[in-house]
Amino acid sequence: MGTTVKIAIAGEGGQGVQALADILAEAANDEGKEALYIPNFGIEQRGGVSLAFVQIATEPIGSPKFRHGDIVIALSERAISRTRQYITEDTLLVYDSSLVAPPEVDDEAIGLQTYDSVAPEAMAGAVSEQPKPGKVRLTRRAGRVVGIPATDTARQELHPRVFNMIVLGAAVRAAGMVKMEAIKKALESRFKSKFAGNPGLRELNYRALQRGVELVEAALAREEVRH
Amino acid sequence: MQRTLPFSENRVFVTGNEAVAWAALAAGADIMFGYPITPQNEIMHYWTRLAPAYGKKFLQTEDELSAGFTTIGGVLAGRKAFSATAGPGTVLFQEPVTMAEMMRIPMVVIIQQRGGPSTATVIYSQQEVNLAAFGGNGEGWRVVYSTANHQELYDYTIKAFNVAWTYRFPVFVLGDGYQAKMRESLVMYDPASRGMELAPAEAVVGKPGRPGSSRPAVHLRNAFSVEEELYESIMPGEEEFRSMARRVVEHDEEGTRGAELVIISHGVVSRAAVAAIKRLKEKGIKAGYFRPVTIRPFPEEALQRAVALCPRLLVVESALGQLARLVKEALFNRPVESFDTIFRPGVGITAEELVEAVIKIRQGGTTCV
Repeated sequence: MGTTVKIAIAGEGGQGVQALADILAEAANDEGKEALYIPNFGIEQRGGVSLAFVQIATEPIGSPKFRHGDIVIALSERAISRTRQYITEDTLLVYDSSLVAPPEVDDEAIGLQTYDSVAPEAMAGAVSEQPKPGKVRLTRRAGRVVGIPATDTARQELHPRVFNMIVLGAAVRAAGMVKMEAIKKALESRFKSKFAGNPGLRELNYRALQRGVELVEAALAREEVRH
Repeated sequence: MQRTLPFSENRVFVTGNEAVAWAALAAGADIMFGYPITPQNEIMHYWTRLAPAYGKKFLQTEDELSAGFTTIGGVLAGRKAFSATAGPGTVLFQEPVTMAEMMRIPMVVIIQQRGGPSTATVIYSQQEVNLAAFGGNGEGWRVVYSTANHQELYDYTIKAFNVAWTYRFPVFVLGDGYQAKMRESLVMYDPASRGMELAPAEAVVGKPGRPGSSRPAVHLRNAFSVEEELYESIMPGEEEFRSMARRVVEHDEEGTRGAELVIISHGVVSRAAVAAIKRLKEKGIKAGYFRPVTIRPFPEEALQRAVALCPRLLVVESALGQLARLVKEALFNRPVESFDTIFRPGVGITAEELVEAVIKIRQGGTTCV
C-alpha cells in the first residue's frame, strides 16, 4: 500500500506560498516520488489569500485537490480561515506564531459547520464565519497544532526575503517525504543565475531551510510534552 | 533552426498547458491560431516561446470565431494547424468546427474546461462535454478525447493530429483548468523514437496543376441549394464517421467483473474513481471503474458489456449530468439495477467522497441529485 501526504499551504500574496509549494513538489518529483502541485487560481490579479495544494506520494495521485489535508500550513489569520475546511483531527496544523495568535477551537461552531457534506471548494460556508480580530478560530480540533515564529526568525536572524524558505524547511520536516538534498537541487535549478551572481544567497537560503526544520522540530517537541 | 525535439525521451515536471505545447510540437504542428482565455493561455505562451526556435508560427486573432476559421485556413493550405480555447471560447468555436465537420477539415482544438454558464469561473469544470461532443449545428462529427493526466494530455494531443489527418474529422482534446494549471510528471518523447508514424498533412487548395484539366477540381461545399442535396451529402459523411468511430473509440476499465458497483467517470474525475476503487478494495468492497476516453464517439458497446457484468452504476462528474446523458443513451433498453449519480458542477470530486458514496449506496442509501 502506498503513502500519500496532502499539504495545503496558505498565506498572504507576496509571502511566497506558490514558490515554496512548487519547489517542494518539484523536489519530490526529482526524487522519483509522485508529486502534484496546483495553485488555487481565480480571477483576482492580486490581494486575497494565496493557496497552494501539494501532494507527494509513492503511488499514483488521485484528484488534484483534496478535502482534508495531512498538513495545513497557514501563514496569516485569514489563511487559517481560508484553510479551516481542510483541517481535521488527523491534520498537523503549522502556523506562523509571529503573525497569528494560537488558534482556538470554536466549540459552538462544531456541529454547525458541515464541510463534510459540502464540496471542497464551497467557499460560501468557509468565509461566512469571520474570525474575531486577534483570535483565530478553528471549526474542528486539529490533530496537532504547532506554531513556528517564521516571520520573526527571518527578520531577526536571516533576511525577510527568505521567510518562505523557513516555511519550506518546516514543510519538508513535517511531510517527511522529501530529502533536503532534493530541495537544494530544486533551488539550484530555479535560482541558478542568482546563486552564481551571489553565492552568499545560496548559503542564506540553506540556513533558512535549516532553521525551518529546527523550528518545527522544537514546536513538535513542545507539543509532544503538552500531551 | 531546430526541426526535431531536443530529446528522444524526457521525464519532466510541468503544467498541463506546457505539456500540450510540447506535444503539438512533437506531433509536427506547423501553426497555432488562438485567442487568449484562461485557463488555456499558457498553451499559447509556451507555443510562442517554442515556435521561433523550431520554425513554427503563431497568429493571435481577434476572437475565437476567427481563431477557428483561421485554423481551417491553415489546414486547407496543408499545414497542421491547431488552436486552444475554453468556456465561452468553446461556444464560439462551434461554428468553425461544424464547418470543419461538413468539409472534412482536420482541425485540432484543445479545450481546457472552465466553469459555466457564461464567464462563470476560470478555474475548472466538466461542463463542456455537451459542447465538445454535440455543440454545433450538425451531427457531432468530431472526435473528443477526455484526458485524465499529463501523460494523456501529451499522448492524446499527438494522437489528435494523427486521427484528424488520417480520417479528416475535427478532433478535440478535452482537458480542464485543473489539468491545465497543475504540475505533475510525465514522459515527453519524440514519436519517431518510439516508431510512431505521424500522418502527413496535405494541402486541399492551391495544389499544382490546372483544376479540371491536369487534375480534378477541388469542390468544397458548406452551402446547398435544396434539402435533398444536403441529405445526400450528410448520409455518406455519417457512414464514414461511423466507420472511423469503430477504429478510434477508446475506453478504460478496471474490475468490472464481479463488482458490486461500477463507478463511471471521465477526465480528471476518473483519477478519484481509480483511487476510490483501490481504497474500497482494501475495505473488502469490490467496485469497478469504467471511463470513456473518447467522449465522442462514445464507447457504447464496451459500456454495454461492462453493464452486463455489473448492472449497478454510479455516474460521477463535475457537471449536472452531461456524462450521465451519454451513458443513458449508450444503455438504452438495457437492464440496469441501480443508477446513482454524483453531480458537482464546477467543483472537483475526491476519492474520499466516492468511497463514502459507495458505502452509503451499499447500505441502501442513494446519492442521486
